[in-house]
Amino acid sequence: MFHWLEKNPFFFAVGVFLVIAYAGIVTILPDFMESARPVTGTKPYTVLELAGRHVYIKDSCNACHSQLIRPFKSETDRYGMYSLSGEYAYDRPFLWGSKRTGPDLMRVGNYRTTDWHEYHMLDPISVVPGSIMPAYKHMFKNNADIETAYAEALTVKKVFNVPYDQADMPQLGTYDESKKAVMEQAAAIVADMKSTEVKEAFKRGEIKEIVALIAYLNSLK
Amino acid sequence: MNWLNDNVNALALLGAAAILILSIGVSLKYIKQMKTDKSTGELTKENWDGIGEYKNALPIGWALSFVGTIVWALWYFLAGYPLASYNKIGEYNEEVKSYNAQFEKKFANPDQATLMSMGEGVFLVQCAPCHGVTGDGMNGKAANFAKWGNEEAIVASILNGAKGSSYPLGEMPSGLLDAESAKAVAAYVMQEVSSVKKSKNPALVESGRALWATCAACHGEDGKGMDGSAPDLSTYGTAKFVANVLNMGKKGTIGNMPQFNDGRLTNIQKTAVGTYVSSLAK
Repeated sequence: MFHWLEKNPFFFAVGVFLVIAYAGIVTILPDFMESARPVTGTKPYTVLELAGRHVYIKDSCNACHSQLIRPFKSETDRYGMYSLSGEYAYDRPFLWGSKRTGPDLMRVGNYRTTDWHEYHMLDPISVVPGSIMPAYKHMFKNNADIETAYAEALTVKKVFNVPYDQADMPQLGTYDESKKAVMEQAAAIVADMKSTEVKEAFKRGEIKEIVALIAYLNSLK
Repeated sequence: MNWLNDNVNALALLGAAAILILSIGVSLKYIKQMKTDKSTGELTKENWDGIGEYKNALPIGWALSFVGTIVWALWYFLAGYPLASYNKIGEYNEEVKSYNAQFEKKFANPDQATLMSMGEGVFLVQCAPCHGVTGDGMNGKAANFAKWGNEEAIVASILNGAKGSSYPLGEMPSGLLDAESAKAVAAYVMQEVSSVKKSKNPALVESGRALWATCAACHGEDGKGMDGSAPDLSTYGTAKFVANVLNMGKKGTIGNMPQFNDGRLTNIQKTAVGTYVSSLAK
């Protein structure tokens, strides 16, 4: 019956692929279209949060912290509601992480605050005795890269149609308009912080990495 | 040889021996057959470098069970056990539901010791990151519970003001009363208004009552906060007062406390945390 197939390596390979891929296709496709859409209420990151996200990636926070809460009671008790795939719609790249040396951060904005993050980044042991997380003092010295964050936001808006500049969504506008919005968001965070170094830098118009990172962490809800 | 007394070991050895004997027997049979058998029959057209293939019809039983398996697989996949019949979120919901039912049954009427140990457990996970493992606020990073929920705390609140609880009547300004009057009002609140019903300065209670009018403007004549317009001081020093802070969060002078009303804590757990935190006050 299939002798013709045995003599045609190409079609044989196609047949093998279809047979093997079948299980994957029937489990993935039906759900994929629906669940990959943004969950209602999910918004793209503001420029300051994106800058903080870059700091998060640069300092490899995702090497020790996951951002994915699995649907188990033990996890939702500690971290909150389990993650939905639509919540990652605007994460480029996603930062699920693969190992929890530290706790999950998917919804850290719900239960940690600006001042706590400040103490923690400066000296983790001061708030979490026995923590093995290193201190990230350089975040209080280096400036956040707002230009790159704006460029990224503008790019994903144009290339992937990420809904910036729409009603109830973060506004980008021109770089100057965006910079103004960034300064506004940063001002609220700096006001909640204690570090005089960061506060004085902000008065000079500089936004330190820690401010952007806290904006990002507070946005994780 | 002790291990031979074990049934499983004996069975495994027996099985291994049976497999060995069967394999040897079958091999010998086929080796003998290969020596004497001659192949006959019609060859197919195909020929692979001199190796041919006989035209053999499929044995009918084998062919039927092969087709039957395919039919069964399709039925099993589409109707017998459809994909939708298992869902990890569904399993999660079941898990949570049964856990919650068990939890509420087990802790329907918790006694003081149960509340204290449950409260300490929750405290160490949810509160300790800011308030410290001992509840001391870690050098002013958060409220120090040893100095919270007691008479001195009321004096401090009156002198320094209190803010960040988002009550309709707004924040309590500092310096409403001088230090002496504050002490008197604190004594009055502790003995007459709050659930503690005991003051460290009973002598000052009466003069505190006279000064209460300043506070009554927001907290009401009875100190119950006029239906949620201001904090209800009648619950001061109890678990209920703490549970209220957990629900509302607080953006105070020290820092910002998040709300704990997203379902992570049950009402029983909130009461437990309140009981534990109140017990830390000195």
